[in-house]
Amino acid sequence: MRIETCYFCSQPVYPSKGITFVRNDAKMFRFCRSKCHKNFKMKRNPRKLAWTKAFRRAHGKEMTVDSTLAFAQRRNIPVRYNRDLVATTLQAMQRVSEIRARRERQFYKNRMKGNKEKQLEADRKLVAENQHLLPPQYRDQVEEVLQEVEAQTNEMDLEENELEEEDLDVLEEEKLEEQKVKKGKNKVVQKKKQRLVRGKGVEEMDVDG
Amino acid sequence: MAVRAAFENSNEVGVFSTLTNSYALVAVGASENFYSVFEAELQDVIPITHCTIAGTRIVGRLTAGNKKGLLVPTSTTDQELQHLRNSIPDTVKIQRIEERLSALGNVICANDHVALVHPDLERESEEIIADVLGVEVFRQTIADNVLTGSYMALSNQGGIVHPKTSIQDQDELSSLLQVPLVAGSVNRGSPVVGAGMVVNDWMAVTGLDTTATELSVVESVFKLGEGMGPGAINTTNKETMVESFY
Repeated sequence: MRIETCYFCSQPVYPSKGITFVRNDAKMFRFCRSKCHKNFKMKRNPRKLAWTKAFRRAHGKEMTVDSTLAFAQRRNIPVRYNRDLVATTLQAMQRVSEIRARRERQFYKNRMKGNKEKQLEADRKLVAENQHLLPPQYRDQVEEVLQEVEAQTNEMDLEENELEEEDLDVLEEEKLEEQKVKKGKNKVVQKKKQRLVRGKGVEEMDVDG
Repeated sequence: MAVRAAFENSNEVGVFSTLTNSYALVAVGASENFYSVFEAELQDVIPITHCTIAGTRIVGRLTAGNKKGLLVPTSTTDQELQHLRNSIPDTVKIQRIEERLSALGNVICANDHVALVHPDLERESEEIIADVLGVEVFRQTIADNVLTGSYMALSNQGGIVHPKTSIQDQDELSSLLQVPLVAGSVNRGSPVVGAGMVVNDWMAVTGLDTTATELSVVESVFKLGEGMGPGAINTTNKETMVESFY
């Protein structure tokens, strides 16, 4: 009785489960279910299918070099039975799995680190680049909000922004606008449009008819 | 001492058992008769173990070993490997080989110093054999048969090869192994001497059909009887040798 791992997806294959293919060079391929077997028969590469462990390892989504991963291996040289050894091994197994769980959590955190900032940055950029899609009264509000924040901190006056009206919940409206943009409902045909360049203010821009 | 035995009416005792100078493996059979043959000779001398390899009884053909080590094929289960480790002395190294040719008993013929192996064996396997069995490894064929383990029975005292091995081949092998060789048969003319018998330095077991002549050849070449010097093969038993087939 040995719990093998699936050749395709690396899932454990328990006795009586799955199917085994033996190639004529005597290499054994174990599959956990027909899905894996069929994909193998279609000659698909497990490293290119996102649901396999092979893919996740190849794309840096899981730990690949770690001392805790070296314990689960097929060993060809047996060790004589020793009750104490078995007891310590059982303890060690638990401990190793704890350590691995902790390292995996840490690995995941590291992998996800900076995603929020990146997303926020991308959102800002999207809004900044697509100002022309907003109705005129809302344009440059992003910039304005940013400047307001700066002004509050730096105690500077905001005389240059006299064009725009005061708006309290700018952000909310901005969100609404964005949603509209996404739905593609407010397509405005314009000959000219304004383009906001960060730090330079608004520029006029010709739009090809 | 050469004895005759049969495993469940089969003469091919080399298929169902492995015998070395430090341990013996015997297949699990329906009756203990075969085991008893070994027990009668070897009890309190070396450990005799009932075992299976990959769930089968053909342990003699699947394993290869000598005094220093034991090699088992990749199909051996973890439980069987553990059982072997627990019942064989600690001085014997045991290792499972990841080798395409999984019938190691057919492709490896070893005594405690030299091993003759199948020419197609992998390079890594060759190194493992040298390492675990502590032997010099030679890729060889016996009478143009690649299955060295099947067509040769070898101990530290001597060896029997396929009856149709030419004299040149015998001389070559003999100089390689540094032991006297003789072409012969077991089990009333069976050429698969490796599978038909097992031998170590003080005992041989052959199939029940082995004739008295064959048995006397076995005893003389492996020096199992009393007062059997190396020269005895060429004098007393010469006419009985299967060399005379030529």
